[in-house]
Amino acid sequence: MHEQTLSRFRTEIRHFFLVSLLNLVFAAIAIATGVQYIVTAIMGQTLDPVVPGFPVISGIRILTPIIAMCCFGLGIGWIIATVRIYEGIVIIKDDLRKGGEAITDDRLTCLIVRMLAHYRDNRRTVGTMILVCTLGGACFFVLGIANSLKVLSVSSGGFAFTLDNLLLIPAMLLTLGISLASLLSSYYFSKFAQVWEQRLREIGESECALKQKLGLDEQ
Amino acid sequence: MSGRRTIYEIYWEILVYCKSPRSFTAIINRCDLNSKTGQEYLNFLTMKKYLSAVAEEGKTRYVSTKEAGEYIALFSSMYQNLFDNQPGFRL
Repeated sequence: MHEQTLSRFRTEIRHFFLVSLLNLVFAAIAIATGVQYIVTAIMGQTLDPVVPGFPVISGIRILTPIIAMCCFGLGIGWIIATVRIYEGIVIIKDDLRKGGEAITDDRLTCLIVRMLAHYRDNRRTVGTMILVCTLGGACFFVLGIANSLKVLSVSSGGFAFTLDNLLLIPAMLLTLGISLASLLSSYYFSKFAQVWEQRLREIGESECALKQKLGLDEQ
Repeated sequence: MSGRRTIYEIYWEILVYCKSPRSFTAIINRCDLNSKTGQEYLNFLTMKKYLSAVAEEGKTRYVSTKEAGEYIALFSSMYQNLFDNQPGFRL
């Protein structure tokens, strides 16, 4: 029982740590990419020259810095939210590692209580993170697509587009990668949040047994 | 331990910490409580006979009783059972 719980707790903390770390890395990349797009847009040094005679492209080029600004802001929000979660997880993970395999029952329960307290403290932050990651993912997806288009023409009969030169493909893939990481983080965090919410509910339901034990229900 | 905890988690923490005799100051520092609430918790646990106050070298120290063992065991099993349910994915 104890070993199984320890193994599950350890695995879960490790996964949570990895998702938080992944978030930190991609949040930093998101900020850097956002800044790069803003700077290139302000300096008028877009990654490729605007093709004359295609006003729709200009529209996209104007949209790019606006979306880049949104990505930058979301990246900042993303990193602040992640750092709070990350710090708590690192402390718990380190304590778990120090305990090794011979961790006592009380110590394990103590770490579970700490994780619950950490989740209670950061419940809203986790919720914000799920939202920020989803929005960030969507913004980066649009940015990746918008920046790689050379020609986009929309008519009543449909639309046609041409992708830019091959040099833009790595930048586009990076942006789409950030977008994917962001959406995946959002998915993983919502999975964790669901389980921890369920645990908080279970604790709430089983508290009457503790209350009874302490004789609090007689008062 | 700090952070948002339930009253039952605080009681459990005090009882586990007091498996060996502890002073009032050590308890409130360890459990991150202020003096007023710390005293209330200790009074409650002493009244319920989960803690007993012993005098050591002229100082009062608190130690968990046998009865506290049942509460600690129940609490630990409840919290460890929470891990029967895990997030449905692997990285």
